[in-house]
Amino acid sequence: MISRASVSALAVIVSVVAVGGLCAQQPPKFDHLKHAGLFPTCTGCHQGAEDPDQKMWPDSAACATCHDGTTRPLVTWRPPEEARPSNLKFAHELVPLMTRETPQGTQELSCQDCHIAPGGPWMAVRRATPEGCLACHGPEVKQHLAAPDSLCQTCHLPLVRAASLRPADIAGFPAPPSHQAPNFVSRAGHGALATGTTEPVAASCTVCHARDFCLTCHVDAPEQPAIQALGVDARSQAIAVRLAAPPSHRESDFLSRHGGMLRADARTCATCHTRESCLACHAPSQRVSATLHSSGEGRGRGAQPVRHPPESHGENFVARHSQIAATTPASCAGCHVRTDCLECHRPAAASRPGYHPAGFLTLHPAAAYARQTSCGDCHNVGSFCATCHASAGLVSNGPLRSGYHDASRFFVAGHGQAARQNLESCTACHVERDCLTCHSAVGGRRFNPHGPGFDANRMRRKNPEMCTACHGTAIPTR
Amino acid sequence: MNPRLQLAAAGVTLLLFGRESRVSAQGYRLRLDTRAQGVAYRGVTLDSIPVTDTLSTPGSGPTSPEGFAVLCRSGVAYCSFFRPGPWRNAGPLTSTADLTVWGLGRPGLSVHAAVRLGVEFGSADVWPGTNPAVQLLEGYAEYAATRTTTRLGRQVVASRLGTTGFDGAGMVLRDARRGVEVQGYLGWGLARGVALPVTSPALNPLDDFQPRQRQLVAGAGAGWTTRPVDLRLDYLREVDPGTDHFVSERVGVGATLRPIPRVQLAGGADYDIAAGWWGSAEASLTYTQSKVQASVGARRYRPHFDLWTIWGAFSPVPYHAAQASVAVTAIRRLELRGRWEGYEFEEAETATPLFNAKRGGWRWELGGTYHPLTGLTVDASYREEFGPGAGVAAVAGTITYEPTRHLTVVLLGSQATRPLEFRFNEAEVRVVGVDAQLEPSPRVRLGASADRYREIHRRPDAGAFDWNQWRLSARVVLLFGSSADLRGLPPSIRLLPGGRSER
Repeated sequence: MISRASVSALAVIVSVVAVGGLCAQQPPKFDHLKHAGLFPTCTGCHQGAEDPDQKMWPDSAACATCHDGTTRPLVTWRPPEEARPSNLKFAHELVPLMTRETPQGTQELSCQDCHIAPGGPWMAVRRATPEGCLACHGPEVKQHLAAPDSLCQTCHLPLVRAASLRPADIAGFPAPPSHQAPNFVSRAGHGALATGTTEPVAASCTVCHARDFCLTCHVDAPEQPAIQALGVDARSQAIAVRLAAPPSHRESDFLSRHGGMLRADARTCATCHTRESCLACHAPSQRVSATLHSSGEGRGRGAQPVRHPPESHGENFVARHSQIAATTPASCAGCHVRTDCLECHRPAAASRPGYHPAGFLTLHPAAAYARQTSCGDCHNVGSFCATCHASAGLVSNGPLRSGYHDASRFFVAGHGQAARQNLESCTACHVERDCLTCHSAVGGRRFNPHGPGFDANRMRRKNPEMCTACHGTAIPTR
Repeated sequence: MNPRLQLAAAGVTLLLFGRESRVSAQGYRLRLDTRAQGVAYRGVTLDSIPVTDTLSTPGSGPTSPEGFAVLCRSGVAYCSFFRPGPWRNAGPLTSTADLTVWGLGRPGLSVHAAVRLGVEFGSADVWPGTNPAVQLLEGYAEYAATRTTTRLGRQVVASRLGTTGFDGAGMVLRDARRGVEVQGYLGWGLARGVALPVTSPALNPLDDFQPRQRQLVAGAGAGWTTRPVDLRLDYLREVDPGTDHFVSERVGVGATLRPIPRVQLAGGADYDIAAGWWGSAEASLTYTQSKVQASVGARRYRPHFDLWTIWGAFSPVPYHAAQASVAVTAIRRLELRGRWEGYEFEEAETATPLFNAKRGGWRWELGGTYHPLTGLTVDASYREEFGPGAGVAAVAGTITYEPTRHLTVVLLGSQATRPLEFRFNEAEVRVVGVDAQLEPSPRVRLGASADRYREIHRRPDAGAFDWNQWRLSARVVLLFGSSADLRGLPPSIRLLPGGRSER
């Protein structure tokens, strides 16, 4: 059996070999410092730095003069085949025009001024740094990325004109410190930076960004002059950003307040939200969302809200919703369509319980007897309760004293209290004639069924037919 | 109004509003929801035997030769008892088509219809809801403008007086700036809780008294909504057109107050003008926070009966209840909940020395939901309920596995002890089940479930027969729609209208 250690060792070996192989494929870099004693000038090899008609890089054959494989090992160095991708305006032919101030007076720039660190040894070559440029172009600037807006275009091309940059290069752009500000995402942050210059859009923005980048978030791009001032360049989307909800959206009462916020300042919402993003929840009503822009060409996709219930719809809301729905139906209609209501209030015969918990069938006697909720809001006593009870034999279809209520021998004598307390439950199994057997004033045993709160005159005025069921035409008056 | 008249009304509306441009539907949504269920069970059958055939056992009452406890009354030659009923098989299949059409030539004009087709593949009289075979839940033409919404056809109005269905016309006038809304409607009414008129034979399985004509319904409502307060007043009257007598007349008022953030006070009451008494009422104070939700409240419940029945004359008494509930996210992934309600009926004034029913009761429940892993939810609860008529003590649990948002599998189990007060019936019911929902595409949803009910009767005679049963169900939801005017909308909108299960 192969041990875990063996597998680990094998994995390490494979990794090392793979990394070594990858490294072997990279062209070797020329070690300037190692050749410090060999080359007295830069332009000996880099003639292009002085004469634009010449090559910037030496021919690799020149290396073989020494590295012939006999006195020195062969080298595989090759000059770059194409220029390094860049958005710099700099060109070496401009160097003769550049000067620098020194204690000794104004001096022309030399190669060492940019490519060797101050005080560094000869041939300790490095790439020119932005700080080197800023030493002359912005001596007050302490950090390259914190340079003022007016300085950027001194050295850099706008992104849309930096054709040599590849998306990977753009994706690797470092973010300036301003982008780390807490409010940078807001209008007071990047919005103020973009529009805070005399130009339609700050030049500093154009160095790294184009209009396509703004469309990642901005639904209101056509309405924003600063965004429209930017060029169009799909490569700008290489800088990956994600539209994140602002802090206000995470506040617990945001759902209840966001309508008022929209009415107060629709512009803010319209930055990230399309009309359709409102409709993700507010399906039945398009009145409020009409203040926002509809999605379309030239606009960002914007926020994609996910429909979720507000906090008020939490624990036990299904049992509490009737109060709120009855008082403010328009509030419900903000998110719900009528089908939502009918799902429970007009349930299908073949539906499993939706409003009720699973297995409610076994619990329903207790819930129904004391009306945990009003069953009649969703179920018709005749078609729902009585049909099912009749099918199960749980109806009075013969003599009243059948013995079904056998928990007490005297139930019939004392059933009045149960009936007045749970009359709806009684009607799920009993019909009127069952009661009229005893409670009718005409042909029955004349037991008076009227109890507390009974207003005979009022009911007779409203519907005397009800009275005739027991009293016939001789309806008594009080 | 019968369906033909409604269609005619809808057609007239289309002609009136749609004459300015082509009358061709530019947008529609059609949701077909088909469900089937299979149930087999047996109930009880009343039987009797001559007194002379009964057996007497020392220490117990008379029984039948088969061992059923029988009820014999003095002076009656026969004793009665309940024996197991025949097996009943129910196989209801329902298909509900929910259609919305708009783009009819005038902005704001639309037509809505919800039609349900029901077929019973088992015994015709076993399961409610498939008779008649075609039921129009809603079917109306709507014209919605900024300040008005008008509907013509079969519609349902929800208010604190219930969900009132009718065939007729309704209008809502609103002033959004002031938060004022006024509503009125008029039509031929439907029975409560169902899309059928009160004259339908399907509502009278026990051959009780039934009205010969549909009632006329007239209702009005007014609401005022501001940031801290919502107020609503509703009035509803139903009249028998044959006699001009009232079927019902009620008024209701409701209010919601939001005095401070996270706190809401809601309440309301209804008054039965016809009977001259207060109906149901409730008030609740709710605190809502992301990790804590709590409410306390009081309520009163009195059933409402139409005046074409005699039930209102029997003076149903209300009960008064106090309640409280709380839900807490105790730790990450764990939510705990609890609720309690205690209630007591008003004095029924029917005291007899030989028998008294309970006057009060209580309900409580404790439960928790735990999400151990993403896509896995475990829920368990225990509840007790004890009051007049019946009680229950039940433990229930579910395990929900949702590996993707397109598939959900739920395993459930419960065990309940459920005694009855008025019948000797100590029984224990155990339920196990599985439910699976699959959404292979945004326009297709499939579901299937199977539940097994096993009942154990604790009864010393032959009446302790089981009520065991299987329940099988299946569901297919298909969504169709044209989106010419809604291109680019999020999927949640393109799929509307949708039910609760679409959330």
